[in-house]
Amino acid sequence: MTTLRETPPQRLRPLVPVRARAALTLAACSLMGLVAFGWPFFVTPGPALDTSHAADAPWLFALLLPLLAAVVVAELTSGGMDAKAVALLGVLAAVGAALRALGPGTAGIEPTFLVIVLGGRVFGRGFGFVLGAVTIFAGALVTGGVGPWLPFQMFAAGWVGFFAGALPQVRGRTEVWTVAVYGLVAGVAYGALMNLWFWPFAAYGPEVSYAPGDSLAANAHRYGVFYLTTSLGYDVPRGVFTMLLVLLLGPAVLAALRRAARRAAFDATPTFVPPPEQPWR
Amino acid sequence: MIRFERVSVTYASAGKPALSDVTLDIDEGELVLVVGRTGSGKSTLLRTINGLVPHFSGGTLQGRVVVDGRDTRLFRPRDLADAVGFVGQDPLAGFVTDRVEDELAYGMESLSLPPQVMRKRVEETLDVLGLADLRQRALADLSGGQRQRVAIGSVLTMHPRVLVLDEPTSALDPQASEEVLATLQRLVHDLGLTVVIAEHRLERVVQYADRVVYLPGAGGRVVSGTPRDMMRVSELTPPVVELGLWAGWAPLPLSVREARRAAGGLRARLTENGSPRKPASDVGTACTRVEELVVSYSGVPALRGVDLVTRHGQVTALMGRNGAGKSSLLAAMVGLVPVSSGRVEVEGIAPNSVRPAELMRRVGLVPQEPADLLYADTVSGECEQADRDAGAASGSCRHLFSALAPGVPDEVHPRDLSEGQRLSLVLAVVMNSGPAQLLLDEPTRGLDYTAKRRLVTAIRALASTGHAIVLATHDVELVAEVADRVVVLADGEVVADGPTAEVVVASPAFAPQVAKVLAPGPWLTVADVVTAAGAAS
Amino acid sequence: MRAAASLTLPRALHPGAWWLWALGLAAAASRTTNPVLLVLIIAVTGFVVTARRTDDPWAGAFSAFLKLSLVLIAIRVVLQALLSRSSQGVTVLFTLPEVPLPSWLAGVKLGGAVTAEAVLTATYAGLQLATILCCVGAANALASARRLLATVPGALYEAGVACVVALSFAPQLVTDARRIRQAHRLRGHSPRRLAGLRRTAMPVLEGALDRSIELAAAMDARGYGRTGNASPSSRRITTALVAGGLLSMCVGGYGLLDGSGAQLRGLPTLLLGTVLAGGGLAVGGRRTQRTRYRPDPWALPEWLVAGSGLSAAVALFATAATTPAVLTVPSPLALPAVPVAAVLGILVGLLPAVVAPPVPHRVGAVASRQPRTAQVSA
Repeated sequence: MTTLRETPPQRLRPLVPVRARAALTLAACSLMGLVAFGWPFFVTPGPALDTSHAADAPWLFALLLPLLAAVVVAELTSGGMDAKAVALLGVLAAVGAALRALGPGTAGIEPTFLVIVLGGRVFGRGFGFVLGAVTIFAGALVTGGVGPWLPFQMFAAGWVGFFAGALPQVRGRTEVWTVAVYGLVAGVAYGALMNLWFWPFAAYGPEVSYAPGDSLAANAHRYGVFYLTTSLGYDVPRGVFTMLLVLLLGPAVLAALRRAARRAAFDATPTFVPPPEQPWR
Repeated sequence: MIRFERVSVTYASAGKPALSDVTLDIDEGELVLVVGRTGSGKSTLLRTINGLVPHFSGGTLQGRVVVDGRDTRLFRPRDLADAVGFVGQDPLAGFVTDRVEDELAYGMESLSLPPQVMRKRVEETLDVLGLADLRQRALADLSGGQRQRVAIGSVLTMHPRVLVLDEPTSALDPQASEEVLATLQRLVHDLGLTVVIAEHRLERVVQYADRVVYLPGAGGRVVSGTPRDMMRVSELTPPVVELGLWAGWAPLPLSVREARRAAGGLRARLTENGSPRKPASDVGTACTRVEELVVSYSGVPALRGVDLVTRHGQVTALMGRNGAGKSSLLAAMVGLVPVSSGRVEVEGIAPNSVRPAELMRRVGLVPQEPADLLYADTVSGECEQADRDAGAASGSCRHLFSALAPGVPDEVHPRDLSEGQRLSLVLAVVMNSGPAQLLLDEPTRGLDYTAKRRLVTAIRALASTGHAIVLATHDVELVAEVADRVVVLADGEVVADGPTAEVVVASPAFAPQVAKVLAPGPWLTVADVVTAAGAAS
Repeated sequence: MRAAASLTLPRALHPGAWWLWALGLAAAASRTTNPVLLVLIIAVTGFVVTARRTDDPWAGAFSAFLKLSLVLIAIRVVLQALLSRSSQGVTVLFTLPEVPLPSWLAGVKLGGAVTAEAVLTATYAGLQLATILCCVGAANALASARRLLATVPGALYEAGVACVVALSFAPQLVTDARRIRQAHRLRGHSPRRLAGLRRTAMPVLEGALDRSIELAAAMDARGYGRTGNASPSSRRITTALVAGGLLSMCVGGYGLLDGSGAQLRGLPTLLLGTVLAGGGLAVGGRRTQRTRYRPDPWALPEWLVAGSGLSAAVALFATAATTPAVLTVPSPLALPAVPVAAVLGILVGLLPAVVAPPVPHRVGAVASRQPRTAQVSA
């Protein structure tokens, strides 16, 4: 079973191809997702949402987003993931979920990020998105953390995996640094997004809270203050930690994932030759 | 039932075929044993039966494999799921769900069988395999034999005509492997299933086989025939066959029962004037002292007052059923588990009181999963790290490894090594720091005869240079070959301790095949018999 | 079927029923900031969880959520008391030294006077979120994650299988990691160094990846992915439904955000979109024609449990429509009202403690909670 010969380095066929239909679905759902995260900024003064439904808007989106997440994941995987891709997805999600369970509370998200970022990087955009979403979902099930935030986290982590798969194709030290810097950015961006989701719930006083019906600039300013005072001090160390993890473990993990891809022979094309001295009917 | 027509398999990245020109016809209701050393293509042969090769693995299949009238060229593995049940080497790795009942039903769900049929088949399978008591249990909590039976059950529910098993008993202790083999026997005899098994542990299986397929490897021609005929040509034989061949018995015995009937004359001849095996004496000085040792895990005792002294130059075998405390004792001897009461001293020092770097110069442990100790991505990287850890001269670990397993290139990934090579690498890494004592936990799991012979040579060499060696093992043949002394543990206590021949010969559970054939004589291996007979004549 | 309708025969309740019950209570909580009602809802969920909890690993979720809620309230109180200038009332509890802040942070203070009004407002506002969290936590504790996965629609089959694999494999990984970390000692490494992370992570990951290949082979050999391709017409219907659904969701979402348009573009369009997209999922799911082994029944107990949660929601929505004043506290220091209808509605939520079938006693459950080594020696 052992193969000593190194296959020449080549780009792996994406495990979850993002075809036109899936890309359109992803784009539409992501647009809605973005609205679900950032609706306080998009609301124009005087609309229906911030008069009669002001308090309900976040819940409305929390109910809507699981459906959107389901549609995206279903669309991405509808090409029929084969057993190899599903097993790999399950096992990587298990690694991510186990890391999540080991980490105290939400702080355990960084090593999980490592799996999502590097998995997306090696196995492509589509796989990255599904990996992000499934890992967060499985982690929530393992730790009993299913809640209204879950679909938002799934989307955010899905994007983290997606863009990791879309990073430029470089190799060697450049690759590790590219992924590490991406890890930093992704860590901070994830934090900012999740805070944005939580913001309407966080009534810490009118100076830092979402004010329905106020102008975009005023709300953005308040969000900025909210983010700076409550979350930045947490998100930046988190991003830095993710980056350090990538620098420390990245090369080994990338090599392990690529080796697994080679061993699993995702591109395996069976060839059949009829038995010798016998015409094939 | 299964037809191979001039089948050759070449993997995409390999230069030469893994299997060449196999022609074979397996009839319905046969139990076929596939024999061959590691790397001879056993797994490849098994995997062509349900089309995993080449549909799953990639590569080229020349020729034709037809199972139950279906050509694997046209049917993918998943389309053959209701014709061929395939059970891989590690059952736990193949489980999708985590509960016995769900696992049995999983395959049927994929076949979209109606719910009533699924329910009925799960109940039937639970009964056939004796799993009814375990139906609600978590798979992770099952013993090795139970897991293997669940794995067999999980494919049986799809009602296949053929069952293919890759080394079903290699990782099991004797009792568990008896369970599994008895189950397979029943399936062949009662249900008329065709069963194909690849197995290293011939002494367990060969007597049940209707036919043996021998893969010589290295491009040699694959041959098949009755077990008796094939055992004459195979380079791999169980001790009882080896004894029969040496003694020239005809027909060649395959089981202890057959051999014992033929062995009357030999037994008499040896008993009259043969010399017994050389008695093992406590020649060396004491190395590790264990006194009144108690180890508990959250209140449940694993060891209850164990006394043991190991000596330089002596090979001690720890035997006993699973959970008797063998692994706990080894772990306590390297300070991996806290000591509840009593004392452990390695050359006068308590192992859990010294720094790891210091401890590894005194005692080394090769754990049950040798790969746990490996984390570099090449063999040479692993060896260099080991040199750095031990403060040894550069290249010394690599040198040790090459002596144990010659011809392995530097850049191979440790996980791509065969079981035997991986064990050798871990052994080299552990011995590199020069410990006076070596502990091995189940070292022969998954090893073929060749690798086992290498291990025996290595252990003997270490013992002769004054190392104290402790083996925890179920492998009675290994114990017969190398151990000077046997300590039997049961329920956390020492129940027997003495020279190998004394402890082992009278024991139904721990006697090797040769001892069973020649009991009550003190000969344990064919080599013992040959020596004794030489002295007799 | 009569057995499934029994309220006393032990069996696991359909996870969907627990979620509907919890969501009903959560919806009820979203209608009020009255602390009496909110605390009552927390008490109801806590009581039902205690009565019908299993010994699954996630059964401890409720207390975790409860703690999280308390932390959230505390953070809220501290931040509002310390940061906000305008929410402060006149009843000063104590005064902290105030830190001067730059001008662009106008309106925000740091320190200064802390008033009872600010503390109470923050507590009440936080209490609502905390109550909703407790409802969700109760659902987490009561609904089996594994059974929940068994109910995923067919369109999510692949992702569902991956989740099942992840769920069964994650605990094994934790065991592996522990064992490998221990083994570091055998190579002369102290386990607590940073390099130890790599030395643990890599063998665990490599082992997991190797396993994924074996698992894939086993799945393939057991018929995974055997029923595949949907007919072209059903594919076209799926595409149309999903596309239409997404489009109308986008339009509806825009309508909601941009209130200038008529109601037509708002909520109804959004709802139409969800229905279409949901239909698309359902039709798309038919491509995987699998059957299910012993699916959870939906019988009388499920109806009762789900209904009891919904009744709490209905009671609160009705109160909100008729006498909205009793659902809020007029001023932070005023005593909250006790609306009888709402209280009764919430108390109906206690019903599952009686009508949900008792938790089945699992054979081997006790053994599985003991450490592995202990169990083997037993």
